[in-house]
Amino acid sequence: MATSTARLFSGDTPRNAYTKALRLYGTPGAFVRANLIVIWLAMLVAVWVFNPIKALPYPSEVGQAFRNLWNLQGSQGLVYNTYVTLKLNVVGLLYSTIISVLIAYMSVLPIFQPFNKMVQWLRYLPIVGFNLVFLTLFTIGWPMKVAMLTTGMSFFLVTSMTGVIASIPRMKYELARVLGYNDWQTFYSVVVRGTAPQMIDVIAQNAAIGWVMITAIETYNRTEGGIGSQIYAYSSTNNLPAVYAYLIVIGIIAVIEDWLFLLLKRGLFPYSTVAERA
Amino acid sequence: MATEEPNNNTYCAPGPIDKAELLEPLLTIERLGKSFRLNDGSTLVVLKDFSLTIHNIRNKPQIVSILGPSGAGKTTALRIIAGLDPPTEGCVMLSEGEGKPLRVVEVGDIGVVFQRYPLFDDLNVINNLIIPAVRSGMSKKEAEDKAARYLDEFDMVKQGLAWPLQLSGGQRQRVAIMQQLMQDRHFIILDEPFSGLDPVNIINVIELIARTANQHTLNTFIIVTHDVTSALIISDHVYLLGRERDAKGNAIPGARVMKEYDMIAEGLAYQPNIEDLPRFSEIRKEIKMVEFAKL
Repeated sequence: MATSTARLFSGDTPRNAYTKALRLYGTPGAFVRANLIVIWLAMLVAVWVFNPIKALPYPSEVGQAFRNLWNLQGSQGLVYNTYVTLKLNVVGLLYSTIISVLIAYMSVLPIFQPFNKMVQWLRYLPIVGFNLVFLTLFTIGWPMKVAMLTTGMSFFLVTSMTGVIASIPRMKYELARVLGYNDWQTFYSVVVRGTAPQMIDVIAQNAAIGWVMITAIETYNRTEGGIGSQIYAYSSTNNLPAVYAYLIVIGIIAVIEDWLFLLLKRGLFPYSTVAERA
Repeated sequence: MATEEPNNNTYCAPGPIDKAELLEPLLTIERLGKSFRLNDGSTLVVLKDFSLTIHNIRNKPQIVSILGPSGAGKTTALRIIAGLDPPTEGCVMLSEGEGKPLRVVEVGDIGVVFQRYPLFDDLNVINNLIIPAVRSGMSKKEAEDKAARYLDEFDMVKQGLAWPLQLSGGQRQRVAIMQQLMQDRHFIILDEPFSGLDPVNIINVIELIARTANQHTLNTFIIVTHDVTSALIISDHVYLLGRERDAKGNAIPGARVMKEYDMIAEGLAYQPNIEDLPRFSEIRKEIKMVEFAKL
């Protein structure tokens, strides 16, 4: 018994293990960390259950709305709308990642730096303000939604990716130079390979921005449905439990997305785990 | 923010070595100058008339130290010698041995072991040795054999598959040295290799550098340091870098070689118990108490 307890608390006493959670950069161990997540979730649910704000529906109401949405068929259903939005998010993220990585990589050449800076400035502008431009260039519906999401996310991705490249220590480039690397070899070794794990982190962070944009973009393009259009529709009819049911779906997808990106990073770049610990 | 001054190079022209010399120069630094234009429009002169020549020593490698207090311009000198920065004046020329002509140094000619030992963090230790060597034209088989040999020599076989972030400072230093040696170069600059080390590790690093340098008589190691004792122990020549002072005692801008200690002529180089010799203590005291105070 004592041995299993010691194993759970990484050889520490339970009291010591939990005390470590209060220390700066403490290392309380995996079991205590898991418990902390459960405790925080329980507190969140408690706040939700006992909240005094009437506009926030109770968990039971949201649960009922979730069941109703699940049972709805076709374009009104939860599964269909989640699929539409998830597909849009994945495609938009893929396109914006490709475009942004290219623009960010080009920032190593001074000739492209002003263009890169201009793209970064565009992140301050709301993408729906360019609705008519997109409408002129793309067919309404799926192509327009993908284009808007890709463009909107790219502004943020380019900013973060360029920041990652700019933070490469000069010594890394110089190491490559003294080892006789040519410009392309230096670029590949120091910029492409050297920043790959951070780029995945950046994509994971900006995927969240995609979900914020999706609701706005799908509100303007409601022809195919999607979570954004559903949130808009249920908000208009004051069906808040349904709105929160969809928000919870977004939250669950976001947690899974974060976890998948972490797995991808650790799988492709095992040294990133060491870097995280360092 | 400072900008580099353009080079007004008038001193250097590549050419053959004078064969009449018994010991031919391997590396010549001629009247090197470096200044930076500051934001307020003034000019900061870091190096001026900095000259030294490293000669080939028969049957021995060359280990020289550029010694100077912090802020003397050592790192600026290192960067120019390695070809990483252009000088404002003068030039650095090297030869790859007897009969080979002197030529202006280019980046990549001289290996650099930087102070913080940067490595490619995405490559494990053995690939940090193999991949740069293959990129520089070595066959994969040769690079693998050579890397295995160095790992054994440097007592790093167990760490061969480790990531650089898993290594201690001393281990990173050894990998950084091996990485440069893999390139088949004879010239290597080490930036503050004794910095932050305890006395036992300083001795280990001194032995490592001496052992590595002794692998080839053309090996030429330039150590940039402010550690007087270590520099005197390991070097055959020690150059003091500093600034002259005017009559009022104010430093004149632009560091240069203020004094050269020929440890071979002093009878100190290659001595196993060098620290026990009275002349060693005298020189060390002279540098620490007199020369450093003047710089």
